[in-house]
Amino acid sequence: MPPGSLSKRKGVDVSEHQSQYVIVGGSAAGMAAAHTIRAKDARGTITVLSEEPDAPYFRPLIPFLVAGQKRPEDMALTGSGPYMGADIEVKTGARVAACDPDGRSLTLEDGARYGYEKVLFATGSRPYVPPEIEGTAAEGAFALRTLADARGMAARVARTAHAVMLGGGLLNLKAAFALLERGVKVTLVVYSPEVLSQLMDPEDAYLVRKALDDAGLAILTGAAATAIQSDASGVTGVTLDNGEKMACQMVCIGKGVRPNVEFLQGSGVAVDGGIVADRYTAASRPGTYAAGDVAVTHDPISGAPIMTALWTNAVEMGRCAGMNMAGIKTAYTGTFGILNATQVADEPFVAMGVVHTKSGDYEIHRRATAATFRKLVFDPGGNRLVGAVFVGDIRNAGLYRYVIRERMDVSGFKPAIIDHTLHYGHFMR
Amino acid sequence: MSQPKEIFVRTDRCVGCRSCITACAVEHSASKTLFGAIAETPRPKSRVYVEWVAPNHKVPLVCRQCEDAPCMHACISGAIHRDADGVVRTDADKCIGCWTCVMVCPYGVIGRHLEEHKAYRCDRCPDREMPACVDACPTGALVYQTVPAYSGAARQHASRELVQAEGG
Repeated sequence: MPPGSLSKRKGVDVSEHQSQYVIVGGSAAGMAAAHTIRAKDARGTITVLSEEPDAPYFRPLIPFLVAGQKRPEDMALTGSGPYMGADIEVKTGARVAACDPDGRSLTLEDGARYGYEKVLFATGSRPYVPPEIEGTAAEGAFALRTLADARGMAARVARTAHAVMLGGGLLNLKAAFALLERGVKVTLVVYSPEVLSQLMDPEDAYLVRKALDDAGLAILTGAAATAIQSDASGVTGVTLDNGEKMACQMVCIGKGVRPNVEFLQGSGVAVDGGIVADRYTAASRPGTYAAGDVAVTHDPISGAPIMTALWTNAVEMGRCAGMNMAGIKTAYTGTFGILNATQVADEPFVAMGVVHTKSGDYEIHRRATAATFRKLVFDPGGNRLVGAVFVGDIRNAGLYRYVIRERMDVSGFKPAIIDHTLHYGHFMR
Repeated sequence: MSQPKEIFVRTDRCVGCRSCITACAVEHSASKTLFGAIAETPRPKSRVYVEWVAPNHKVPLVCRQCEDAPCMHACISGAIHRDADGVVRTDADKCIGCWTCVMVCPYGVIGRHLEEHKAYRCDRCPDREMPACVDACPTGALVYQTVPAYSGAARQHASRELVQAEGG
């Protein structure tokens, strides 16, 4: 029998459980926290409540399922990388409906109750589906977020000749390439003037855009969908705001995400967009912590409140929360709003820190060759690096991240930064 | 438990001959011979680097096997783990070539294998007693020792210098 016991309440069986550490959410932040706690506290009971039906997995890998290149078991988190801790109980299909910080307990949708000494809210985020688009509930209209979504997309590939992707962000690009891999014709509809507008200014994205065009992706910029048409077979087409109609059998919506905070209504835990976390990852009520996409943290450069939806950031904050929950007071260093490395269409790129420079006072250095582009953004005084974009050649990107994050005085090696020749030796003298 | 050995770098001894780079690439080639390695496609990759710093210092750089390895935690596919010997390893089968590890490594010692679309890094030469780079270093700039042995030697050296400085 698992920890906890069964008791009678209001005439129905309601299971009651007690765990020293309860973690709500079984993805990056939650699992990183769980394994960190286990490394610091060998005996404390740890229970992870995940609303997804699947055991924890590496979410960024789900496009590979759509592409037919990985199976769900290839993406399992437990037992991979640093996730080797033992005795972490994971309850799948467990959706938390309410939190009572005074009674230190959580109530699941099915009525089960979980008492805790410390709780981490790592409920993540969900895709934002613009309400102004009609017909988004149709079969074949996806927002790729979970392994279940990926299975649904993969299952529809055989019936899909043309897929329309709404939104030009990284996730939709990954999904688009997964579909191209399967021989599906793909059109990307982007409202912004260029793809990846969150990660770089339009004029800095030309190499990535060229790589996407060359890879066979059709891209419409400055356009938005107003409606998705469907019949008994599911999606049949999309109508754009210019009146144009496109026949398609699949739509994928990639319009950003929203934090999952609704379960905290009435709990008294402070929510301002996301869950407000202090420098030590604590939420506003005793014994509560927050990490990952759902948490509001701060930008290390500006100090401004910030929310991100990145695996790497979620792991980092989850680990920090795990330390604090295990009683080792650890300050979270915050995160850049933009911190992405990836490769699309054989074009690697990195964007980090301040990358949008249309407004604001910065010293900017752009360098380009036929196959590479880089942009280094310094503060107005020119002595601090605040942002960097590398396309084509991302060598030693970690050093530039370090320089930005530590707010290093770059006067000793600024030419090496601008020339992209920085190496660790520069830090040694 | 026996102490694991680490690769220590003595920058004062490096003359920038790059023997370590050649030896590393050869060790990580299919043939494991210099002449075979030169002819191989894709070209075998070295996991050790030698950088130059003004006015004229040479700095060998190799994976530090960080205690709190940023690459391992940042990896979005679970491809990086620490083995029982404390060596941080990249599992090429799991690596998807997203380069997140490259973005977070503060030492710049994770390479991108473009032909295979995989990240690569020092693996401490699992088939050898002594890593190839250390074996090849002609000046003793790379040292393969346990922490107590290395720090003991450093103390010995410092003590001798102290005695000499005092006119001993």
